[in-house]
Amino acid sequence: MLKRIPLPSQFDRIIIGGGITVGAIGVPLGIVLVTLVAFGVISAPEMVFFVAAIIVILGALGCVLLPNIVHAALSLTATLIGVAALYLLLMSEFLALVQVLVYGGGVVLLLLFGLMMTNAQDDPVVTDGSQKPFAFLLVSLLIGTFITLLLSGDWGNPTAHVVPFELFGERLFREFALPIIIVAVLLDVAITGALVNVHSTGSDLPEESE
Amino acid sequence: MIPIEYFLTLGAILFGLGLFGVLSRRSAILILMAVELMLAGVSINFIAFASYLDTDAFTGLIFALFVITVAAAEVGLALGIVLRLFRERRTSNVDEASDMRW
Repeated sequence: MLKRIPLPSQFDRIIIGGGITVGAIGVPLGIVLVTLVAFGVISAPEMVFFVAAIIVILGALGCVLLPNIVHAALSLTATLIGVAALYLLLMSEFLALVQVLVYGGGVVLLLLFGLMMTNAQDDPVVTDGSQKPFAFLLVSLLIGTFITLLLSGDWGNPTAHVVPFELFGERLFREFALPIIIVAVLLDVAITGALVNVHSTGSDLPEESE
Repeated sequence: MIPIEYFLTLGAILFGLGLFGVLSRRSAILILMAVELMLAGVSINFIAFASYLDTDAFTGLIFALFVITVAAAEVGLALGIVLRLFRERRTSNVDEASDMRW
C-alpha cells in the first residue's frame, strides 16, 4: 500500500515509519496506564511521571544506540524535553523553563550545526568502538549498584514543595553572588576561547562557532 | 504524591546510559551528547533532593542552574575544538586524534 502513495523522498518514509512505531508502542502503553489510573493502582501524577520517564529512557537509548548521528541528536531532544517535564513534576517551574530554553533551543541547535559542519555532510552513519560489550557490562554493574543502594535506603515519606520565584532569586543573588560572577567570567572565557579556536588561520574562509 | 525513589532511579539510569554512550561512541559530538545525558541525570538527582528533602535552603536547585550554565559553555567550547579538529584532519573520530596520547 505504501508503494502506491507517491512519496517524494526518503524523509517521508522515515516519518511514516517512525509514526507507526511510536503509535504501536505508545497506544497500548497509554491504555495500560489509563486503566491503572482508573482502577486506582497509581495516581495521576504518577501516570504523568511514567509517561515522561518512558520518553526520557527511550530517547536516551536512541541517543546512545542509533547509528545515524542526526537521529541520535533528535532523540536527545526528546530526552531533554522529557527531563523538563520531570522538573515540572518536581515543582521547579523555573528550571523547567531554563531547561527548555537552553537545552531544547540552544544546545541541540548548536550540536546539530556542529554535526552539519562535520560528519553529517558526507556520511551521517558512524560505527561504535570495540569496547561496547565492556561498556555495557560496566554500566549494568553501575546502574545495578546505584538502584540497589538507593532502594535499600530509608527515605521516609517526604513530599515535594514549591520554591517561590522571589525566594529563589533572593537566595541566588545574595548568598551565591560570587559563584554567579565566576560563572559569568567562565562563560566569557569559554565563548572567547571558542571563537579564537575556530577562527581560521590558514584558510581564506573565516568561520564562526556561535 | 510521587515517591522520591522514582526520581532517583531515573537519574541513575540516565547517568548510566550517558556513561555507556561516552564509553562506546567514537564520534566526538556523540560523546558530547552522552555527556549531556549524564549531566541531565545528575540534575534530576539535585532537584529531587532539593524539592523533597531540603525545602528551606534548596541549594540543589541553584546547583542545577549552575550545571546547566556550565554545560552550555562546555558545549560551545568543545564544538569549537571539534570543528578545528575536523578542519585540520577531516575527521571527528576521537581514535584518530591520538597525537598527544602517551
